[in-house]
Amino acid sequence: MVNINRLILRKFRNIAGSRYEEILKSYREFLLTEEEMRIPRVDSVLLAIDRYSGEVPEGVFRLLEHYSPQKVTVIYVIDRNTYRLIRDTLGEKDAEKFRERESELAEKFLKAVSSALDAFGLNWSREIVFAEKTEYVEGLMNDYDVLVIGKQYGLESTKTHHISPLVFRIVQHVTKPVVLY
Amino acid sequence: MQTAELLALSVFAGVYAFIISERVHRTVAAMLGASVILFLNIVPWEKVPEYLDLDTILLLAGMMVVVNIARESGLFEYIAIKTAKFSKGDPMKVLLLFSVVTAVVSAFLDNVTTVLLLTPMLIYITKQMDVNPVPFLLAEVFSSNIGGTATLIGDPPNIMIGSAADLSFNEFIANMTPIALVDLFLAIGIIYLAFRREVSAHKKRTDVIRRSIMTLNEEDALKDRALFRKSVIMILAIVVGFFFHDILGIKPAVIALTGASVLLLWSGASPEYALEKVEWATLFFFGGLFIIVGALVETGFIDQVARWMTGHIHSETQAILVISWFSAVASAIIDNIPFTATMIPLIKAMGGTLDTYPLWWALSLGACLGGNGTAIGASANVVVIGIAYREGIRITFTEFLKIGAVIMAATVAVGSAIIWFRYVGM
Repeated sequence: MVNINRLILRKFRNIAGSRYEEILKSYREFLLTEEEMRIPRVDSVLLAIDRYSGEVPEGVFRLLEHYSPQKVTVIYVIDRNTYRLIRDTLGEKDAEKFRERESELAEKFLKAVSSALDAFGLNWSREIVFAEKTEYVEGLMNDYDVLVIGKQYGLESTKTHHISPLVFRIVQHVTKPVVLY
Repeated sequence: MQTAELLALSVFAGVYAFIISERVHRTVAAMLGASVILFLNIVPWEKVPEYLDLDTILLLAGMMVVVNIARESGLFEYIAIKTAKFSKGDPMKVLLLFSVVTAVVSAFLDNVTTVLLLTPMLIYITKQMDVNPVPFLLAEVFSSNIGGTATLIGDPPNIMIGSAADLSFNEFIANMTPIALVDLFLAIGIIYLAFRREVSAHKKRTDVIRRSIMTLNEEDALKDRALFRKSVIMILAIVVGFFFHDILGIKPAVIALTGASVLLLWSGASPEYALEKVEWATLFFFGGLFIIVGALVETGFIDQVARWMTGHIHSETQAILVISWFSAVASAIIDNIPFTATMIPLIKAMGGTLDTYPLWWALSLGACLGGNGTAIGASANVVVIGIAYREGIRITFTEFLKIGAVIMAATVAVGSAIIWFRYVGM
């Protein structure tokens, strides 16, 4: 039987050549791997937003619902460096005006997100922080299982990139799974 | 026996021995044999075009070009995903749908490409369903070989028979398709009975199946939508062309080559790439074989065997039974292409005393379905077993033989009975 098995494998090599490897490669592009098949355990989710993030799509909440995390923390990050720059150049009054505007915007965003989280039955907490946008998120991620972040988070006003360079950096540095919307 | 006859027979036997042993690639064996024949002038150079069956070689080449271009569009992966989604992870539906789709695709395109492209998807689905993949893979193999029997272009022996006997695509449809249809469901029925516990298993892991199969998007498989559309249109046009080739008085090879040329032009595909992917080894194998068998015809050996056979076979009934069963058993053990190449001149030579028309169908039946008999009987078997082996699934020679021999016997018996009823009657 050993010889017949060898004969079959030799014939297989002669007939299929490299075609099978090519076909497998093409299938790998859309079939799930064993690792992808396993549902990872997700207890905590960090949803980081800022003034550039835009509306969080419903699909993100549906995905989070699938994992049933114990908590979703939504943080709205106001850029501390921008605040300092305004204070140092334009003065305290303008800096305060910037803080107020940002806080109003944050409230608006957080209200929309929290009502969506409620609608999907997810436990959540919310926070508005003054921080450096990349380092703060990267630091927090030690305590969370998944990061959800918009492609336009921290985007410069020039919009030279489809995906914000800040998001690129976060994705490269964070060791946890990232949901990018 | 004359010296030339003895030499031709020795070369023929030597090449067969090499092909069976697989120690030397079959193309190398055939090319070497043909070179010896030509070197010894057993077949004179000017007679080479007479023996070299260009209809077969060019039809194969044309279809290979079409398949190679179509493959680049993701057409076959698209078909595989669609079939998987239709089955909804139900083992019985997977068995039935994959068998039918494999048979239909194999009827029009080559069996090896069909199983190479469908097997990874079948293994993926059976893994998700958490069922034994063996019955599903075996059903795929048998369906591919049975589907190939159905048409003129389904399997190389049919192409060779059609060219040698001048049988049209429609004659194959009228004679072999009904047999293939009956045999397909017969084979699925036998598989079901043999593996009913695995196949009728209740749907399990529905959430896994839903996530892994139902969420697959067939559109993702399409690498080039425009090429996909053009490929589908051209394949359909070629099939329509085959239906009308005898009315138009055009050889099937011309239809295939025209289709290939138009698709090359229309798609803008690189001719270098499309032609590079043509299985030249297979085409040279055919070329070599035609010369080697031509040497047996040239030296009069085939005539002698045919005379001996007609001396022992006295009716079409006997001839149908002998040819279909002998071809089936022989094709289960040796490559059906050299076997068919040898049988064709024999059947032609029997034409003086017998009506050869039903004998061609008997040869087609035996040569194509005989491949189901053993693990090494057909290229599709070897490919599926080889893929399974690489994925850690063992289909042993004995395991294959147990079910393959039953399916071969049942399908050849039913097929030869249908041929007998149609052409000889009670």
